[in-house]
Parts: sequence; structure tokens; C-alpha cells
Amino acid sequence: MEDDLRDAERTSEQDNYVVISDKTDQQNRNKGAQILASSPIALSLAACGGGGEGSAAPSGSAAPSPSPTPSPAKAQGIAKDDANAARFLLRASFTASTATIQSVKDEGAEVWLDRHMRQPNDQTAEQFLEENGLDQVDGNREFVDGRNTDRMLWSLLMSGGNAVRKRVAFALSEFFVVSASPPLTIPWPTHAIGAFWDILNNGAFGNFRELLEDVCLAPAMGVYLDTVGNRKGDQQSGRVPDENFAREVMQLFTIGLFELNIDGSNKTDNGEPIETYANTDVEGLARVFTGYDIDISGVNTFPDPNRPHVIFPEAEALRKPLTADPSKWVRPETESQHSLEEKEFLGTIVPQGTGARESLRIALDALYSHSNVGPFFCKQMIQRLVTSNPSPDYIARCAKIFNDNGKGVRGDLSAVFKAILLDSENSTETSLNDMRFGKLREPVVRFIQFGRSFGLHTDNNEGITRDFSERSALLTQSPFRSPSVFNFFQPNYVPPRSTALANEMVAPEFQLVDENSTAVYINFIVNTVDGRGFWLNDLEPNYTVEKNIADDALALVNRLDLMLSAGQLRPATRDRIISAVSSIPIQGGEDDDGRIRRVQGAIVLIMVSIDYLIQK
Amino acid sequence: MYIGKASQLSRRAFLNRTSQLAMIGTAGAYALDLAGINEAAAFSTQGDYKALVCVFLYGGNDHANTLIPYDSVNHASYSRIRRDVAIPRSALANSVLHLPDGQLLTDGQTMALAPTMPRLKARFDQNELAVLLNVGPLETPLTKAQYLNANTRAFPRPRKLFSHNDQQATWQSSGSTGNNSGWGGRLGDLAQSANSNAMFTAINASGNALFLAGNQTLPFSVTTQGVVQVNALKSNSLFRSTELSGALRDVILNHHQHVLEQDYAATMSRSLTYAPFVDDALKNSSVPAPVPSNSLSEQLSIVAKLIRARNQLGVKRQVFFVSIGGFDHHSNLVDAHGDLLGKVDAALDHFYETTKAMGLGDKVTTFTASDFGRSLTPNGNGSDHGWGGHHFILGGAVKGGRFYGKAPKISVEADDQVGRGRLLPSTSVDEYSTTLARWFGVSDSELASIAPNIGRFAFRDLGFMHTDREP
Repeated sequence: MEDDLRDAERTSEQDNYVVISDKTDQQNRNKGAQILASSPIALSLAACGGGGEGSAAPSGSAAPSPSPTPSPAKAQGIAKDDANAARFLLRASFTASTATIQSVKDEGAEVWLDRHMRQPNDQTAEQFLEENGLDQVDGNREFVDGRNTDRMLWSLLMSGGNAVRKRVAFALSEFFVVSASPPLTIPWPTHAIGAFWDILNNGAFGNFRELLEDVCLAPAMGVYLDTVGNRKGDQQSGRVPDENFAREVMQLFTIGLFELNIDGSNKTDNGEPIETYANTDVEGLARVFTGYDIDISGVNTFPDPNRPHVIFPEAEALRKPLTADPSKWVRPETESQHSLEEKEFLGTIVPQGTGARESLRIALDALYSHSNVGPFFCKQMIQRLVTSNPSPDYIARCAKIFNDNGKGVRGDLSAVFKAILLDSENSTETSLNDMRFGKLREPVVRFIQFGRSFGLHTDNNEGITRDFSERSALLTQSPFRSPSVFNFFQPNYVPPRSTALANEMVAPEFQLVDENSTAVYINFIVNTVDGRGFWLNDLEPNYTVEKNIADDALALVNRLDLMLSAGQLRPATRDRIISAVSSIPIQGGEDDDGRIRRVQGAIVLIMVSIDYLIQK
Repeated sequence: MYIGKASQLSRRAFLNRTSQLAMIGTAGAYALDLAGINEAAAFSTQGDYKALVCVFLYGGNDHANTLIPYDSVNHASYSRIRRDVAIPRSALANSVLHLPDGQLLTDGQTMALAPTMPRLKARFDQNELAVLLNVGPLETPLTKAQYLNANTRAFPRPRKLFSHNDQQATWQSSGSTGNNSGWGGRLGDLAQSANSNAMFTAINASGNALFLAGNQTLPFSVTTQGVVQVNALKSNSLFRSTELSGALRDVILNHHQHVLEQDYAATMSRSLTYAPFVDDALKNSSVPAPVPSNSLSEQLSIVAKLIRARNQLGVKRQVFFVSIGGFDHHSNLVDAHGDLLGKVDAALDHFYETTKAMGLGDKVTTFTASDFGRSLTPNGNGSDHGWGGHHFILGGAVKGGRFYGKAPKISVEADDQVGRGRLLPSTSVDEYSTTLARWFGVSDSELASIAPNIGRFAFRDLGFMHTDREP
């Protein structure tokens, strides 16, 4: 309890935050506006109010009491520099192994990161599809069927390649969102998603402007947000261009809804935030994204064997940018469908008569050079990789790098991601002990971490093949299965009546958290760890190293604590896990049932613990 | 933001309730009996059961192809504007909603439902379905001239119009932009004293939504299969070890003081506490199978099951949230939209029939909401984001067979639209929500806690519900 209070005092000197427990909840709420100012008092009460550990006693607010809270990480047996290296690795990639931890310690995080960012994208969806014969026109009807989409994505995420690039690409896939749910109405739907994944990987450490253009002209995005088939307006019929992409490219992919300061806060006018665009801007920009369709120039076509009058291009067409040249479409036309009207948006005017390519250049340049892009993009990438509530200074430091990488280049993503991952704020003891720092690990990222940590995937089998996004089943999330372009969760989501709300914090990933998904995840991880989950198909986790040290429960838990949670289990949690694991008797060698149960038990207990789930 | 005296009103109700809760202190949730607390001033229950079910149509429902002008003059205007996405008049003959005696709509319109909604057409004919025309978020009544006036301080309008996520939030919070609660949740705040189990006041059968978040009320989440329990805790064994399962219980609840850890642990704790109880209650509750391949019907089916188990759950007032997505028809409007409306038609009709069979047809009121309506002008084969739209209210307590609100002109130039036929709402979400709230039992003095700006609008009761109260 004394440690507890000391911690509390130390932290509250730095920051004001509110702890809501059974006792303080009502008091805090009654205080209303004073809530933040009163935090040291609230905190002390909370600290003293600890009831039975793990008590699930029903009560009005049903919040369990806090357990005694020592500061994390300095656990016995885990060296601090190991923990720090793992902390970095679990943001910059999906896993932390003994070997990668050693590398980071040897060469330093920056050199290590530079080295990995320079590695080319050596494992692509294109290769996967080719190696598995999924680019063939045959009875599997890949040219209309997306059933291999999940298999492809899980294979690419669970194995091989450059995990740093993939981790960042996955974060980008939650910013530039394309979803296979419902299925894209496009030829070769798996290829379309695969090509988009490759664009994100190839562009992850390139320039934002190029990535933005690649994203805009990707067939998957074109179909998802209706650029494909978007025709110029027609005065006579009253038809006007589709506004879908024009709106979302501003709201979600570049500038957002409100004018921002460099630190991500809203600019204000008389105290009111300033909207970045009006609907007339959407209407003007919509004309830019007219007249595009899939480019089949240089690509063979074939008739659907079942419906000979329907012509398909070969899969290669899905890897080409959309074209505004109607002679290159599957159903070629002679007249361009690109609007030649004047296009006015955000104070930019594309003169009447300007063609598709030049209009796009002007439009994307205008969006890209908007001062919002740096803070808007950087804040969300920090949220995906490091913490849900970055300080304004953290955002500003990264946004400045976005604006100028130090060599006068804007939008250098390798510099931006370095700034995000190496920022001084995220590696300190202070942030480790800050009760607001960190984020909920995403379900998909937890599963990938498990898979990559324990060799789940091998090239010799089909691997994981399913969509895990069904609500409250298995994971409630699956790559490229967002329910809408707004991703699985929104950057400003706040759980209702929460401690986060009382502290004016956001908790995006909590949009997936409810009374069922919390239980679902535990059942999922138990049956993943024991290898019995039907979703594993023929995959089996490999616990060779862990089984060999399973007779030493402390060593086993130390190893797993370090690689899974960067040593962030608190002593109370560690002790509880060590004692439970120790209770399982070991009678024999490597394949002894007791050894296996110890390993499986330790992994499950760590991966369901609250200490692990909130990545600090 | 306009809130007038609402903050004071809602704050008073809120503080009262808070102190009452504090008095009860550590009473177990199952036994938490707030029914004895006198809330008569804020809320009226007469021992009966009532439920409101919000059906959210995610993506922005195309109102103009949901309720289509049928009279020849207005249908001609509609066809001229909508072109390729217009539904031909000949397809509408069986779904015309005949006006009751004495009701006249703008420009002499008659309206038909989408041809894929025959069941709701029949409910309208049986006076069980009401149509609310051109409703949407407003801060204050607004004319087109005021909308076009750059002085947004004098003529405020909801922020971030036409944006999906923001307008979902605005609809669900009822006109109070930036609010962290929804009006379903605030209804729950007032109603939960009627329930011996406050936890089951607001129930979400869909993904997390602002609608059910109250200041005190927390939505409880169910899946279409009911509730999920942690197998290792249910069996008290993990990998054949009770030590491991015991440790599991501890490590999923030990939350230390980290803000996000506290919030995760709180949800986890609710799950462990209530899931077994709900599971038990649902075991004894059976309802007719949902409409096949209809996710909305599956959600409504679990809602019906919970309603059937209401006594076991200890509830007399409940607010539910269900949803169906896919309404963002920038393309393929005609086919895809019709199919979706067909699912809504089948699901709502089936659910209403189920509640009637339980003898609760007039105790359960189902209503629709959506991000926004859409543009009347097509973009080819779809439509774009709008503002006001049309909505349905279904149930035995509904004064159905009529239209409420004001029919928009079929025009892209009129003063009830702000361009491309995007409707400027003539009825506010506040008026919609308070009408439902009054039926639910909220006293007039507390309506502003449900709809902060209600005092600025003409009606606190649009009249589409049977109540014994003066409108």
C-alpha cells in the first residue's frame, strides 16, 4: 500500500488524471468540472479503496477494485535494457524474440530500425497468389471469388518478410481503409486486395504523396469508394459526379474535418473549431475523380467459361492503376468520362478543360500540401503503433518531420515512422508509469504476435483461412474486414461512462470491447494456444524452447513476459502466474504433459492479463 | 451549442439519482432494488412493461426510394430528377400508402413504400405503422436562407453535416454535438429506477453505439446467440487445472490504476458478473426463429427473447439498439437498396408479430434512424449524402396509418432542400425523441435531458404515439 501511494503521488505530480473506482466514482461525478483538478485526492481514495483482489462482486458500477499497484517492468529476472528493447520491438514489429532483442541492444534501436526500413518488400501478395496458382483461370473461379482473401492476408501477416514494413502497412490499412466485407464487386477480388496490400507495403517508407496517389488509383479503392464507374456530370439529365471518394479522401485520408495546429489540436475561431471544407468543396473535388475504370491495356482478356458473353481481364489488370483513358477499359468507350468542368475545392481551382491526369495532380498536390496532413496522419499512426493519447508535443514533433524531414522533403514516411517509433516520450520510465500512456493491443495484432512468436505458420500448409471479423466471435477483427471505411474503430472513440471519459481521453480500440468480446477473446486464445481451435486448420504452435525450461516456472514466465509484454506484467500478476504454473507437476522430458500445460498455461495467463492487453 | 436550461435540468435529475445510488452502496446487483426510490417527478411507470427498440440503418438510408411519390404529377417530377435510379410508378401500385381522411401532404402528394416492403405496407394499413417525414438533426428550426447565411452563430446547425460517423453520433446523441451520451442512454438514466436490475436497462444487440450510453446507464451487450461466457471459468478448469483457472480470473480482473486497464477490467467484470445470469434467463425463454439470412432479424430475435425473460431479468423499462448496415448506396442503388429494405421489412414485421404474440404489441415500440437521408439527384446509379430523411415507427401503441411531419417537395430547388435535393429537416430528431420519451414515461420537466434543444422547437410531442397525456 505504501508503494502504491508513492507511485500515485509521483505520477500525480506530473499529471492530473482521475481514477474511478467503486468509492470514487460517485464523488468524482458529483464534482463535475472539478474532476481533473481534484485528482490527487481521488487517487488517494482509490488507492486506499482496494478491495479483494480480483473481486467480481456485483455492484452498481461493477468495476473491480484496483489491486496494489507497483510500477511495472522492473520485475526480477528481466533486465531493464531487455525490457526496453522489447518495448520498442513490439511497436515497430509484431514480436520480440531473444535474437531481435539482442540485436536492438547491440546496434541501438535507431540503427536497427534504419536497417529494417531499408529492407525491400521481399514478400508480396502478388508472389503468394502466383505461387499458389491463384492467378489461374480455372474451376476455382478466382476471377470472381474472394474466398482466398483471408488465407492470403493471414499467410503474409503470420510469416516471413519484413515485419517492420508489415506492421506499418497494417497500421496504414487502418487509415487508408479498403474492406473485403461485403465482397468487392471487382474481377479477381483477392488480387485487388492483395495489390492494395502490396501498395501499402511498397509505400510504407516512401513518400506520402506517392502513396496517396497509388491509393487513389488502386482498383480495390476505386471500387470500394465508387471512383470506378464515376461519370462526369450531365447537365441535361441532372446527373452529377459521385461524391463518395472526394469526401472520404479529405475526411479520412488527408486533412480531416477541422483545421489543425501542428500539435493536432483544433484551430479555433471565436472558440469554435473551423471546418476544413464545405459540401461545395466535396462537389468540386468529386469532378476530379470522374472517368476512371480498370486498365486492361496490355492485359489478356478471356470470356467467363460459365457466361461466355462476360469478358474478364487476367489478374494483372488489378495491379495497374485505374485509367481515365476509356479505350483501355474492359468495355471500351470513345468519349472520355472525365469531367472537363472547372473544379473548385479548398481554394484551389482546376481550370475548365483540364484533363484527368493534370486534375488529379493538382488535386492531390493541394490535399498533400494542406497543413493538416502532418498532424492528422501522424496522430493516427502514433495511436496505431504507440499510444491512444499522445501528448501535443509528441504529435508536433512527428508532424514537423512530416512537413520537413530535415532535408527539405515533405511527406518522407521513413522519417515519419522513425520519429513516431523513436520518440523520446515513448521509451521513458515516465511514460511507462503514466496511467494514461499506451493503448489496447488490437485483437489482430495479438493473434499475429502469437502466431509469429510460436511458429504457427509454415509454408507447407494452407494456414489460416477464415475471416475473424464476425461480431463477438473469435477475434471481432480481421485484416481488411472493416465494417466500413471508418475502420474497426475510430480515432476519437470514448467508451461510455468510462475512466477514459472522465479523464478526457480517447480509447479507439475499445470500440471493439464489450461484455461478449472480452470473454470471446479469452476462449479464442485458450484454444489457439492449445492448438485445438478449428480456425488453426492444420497449424500447430511450436513450444520447443519453452518446454525445455518449463520446470523452472520463474524462467518460463520471465521469458514469456519479456517476449509477449516487454516485461510489463506487474509483480502481482507475475507472482500469480508463477504460482499457478508451478502448481502443475512435471514428471518427464520434453513432451511431458505437465511441461506442455505449464507452457500453455503461462502463455494464456499472460495474453489474457490486463497488464498485457494494455500495451505501455 | 444550444442547451438552454437543459444542463441544469438533467444535472438535477442526475445528481439526485447519483446520491440515491450512493446510499445503496454495496448492495449486490441482482438485489439492487431501486424500484422503491421515488422518481415519480422524473419518470412514470404504472407497473407495466415498456420497451423502445432503435433500428439504426447504417450508411444513410436513401429516403427518396423508401417512400416514393405515387401521384402522377409528383412521380413525374421524381422520375425526371432521379432518372436511372427512379422506381417506375407501375412497380408501386401494391404499396401505396393511402392517406387517412383529412390528411393532405405537400403538393397533393400520395406516397408509396418501396415495392420490397409489403409487410410494412400492411402494417400501415392496419394503423400500426406511422411514417415520420423529413426528420433530421437540427440545433434550432432553420430556413434555407438561414442555412445559407454564413453567420452560424446566429443560425446554428449541426456540425459536420453529411459525414457518416459524425451524423450517426449526432442522431444518436440528439442534437447535442460533442455529447458523450446518447438519448437512448439518457432515457435509461431516467428509467433505470423502474428496474430492479439497472444493468439490463439499455441493451445493445449490435456493435458499440453512442445511442445507449447514458450518464449513469451503461449499455449491456448481447450477441445474436445470447451471451458468451469464459469457458475456463464456467468449468473452473484451464488445461485441467483449477489453479490455472483461478489465476486466470485474477489476471483478467486485476487492473491496477492505469486508466485503460481500469476500463477494460470494468467491462470484463461486467461480463463475468452478468453473463451467467443472462444466460440462465435466456435458457427459459423461447421465441419464434428469426427470418432466415437476415442479421437484423437475428438481433431482434435476441431482443424478443430478452423481453420474454423480462421478469427474470428484473426490468420494466428497456431501451434496445439493433442495426443493419450497407445503406451507403453511392452506386447500385436500385437493386441493393431494395434488397436491404426487404430485409428491414421482414425483420420488423416478424419482430412486431412476436411481441404481439407475447401480449406486448402495444408495449414495445420499434423505430428507425439513420446517418442521414440522401441526395435526390443521382450520381449515375447511386445517390450521395444528405441530411433529413423519412423514418418509421411500428407498434401497437403507434397511431399508425398516418404521416407525421411535413412532406418535402419533389424538387432540387425548393426551400426545404439545400442542394441536389438534400433535405433540410422540417422536424428535428429532438421532437422525434421526446415524442417517444413521453410515451416511455418521461415527465415533461425532464424532456430536455433527453433532447437538449427541445425547447426551441414547435412540438415536444408529434402525436404519433397513443398516450393519455396532453401533447
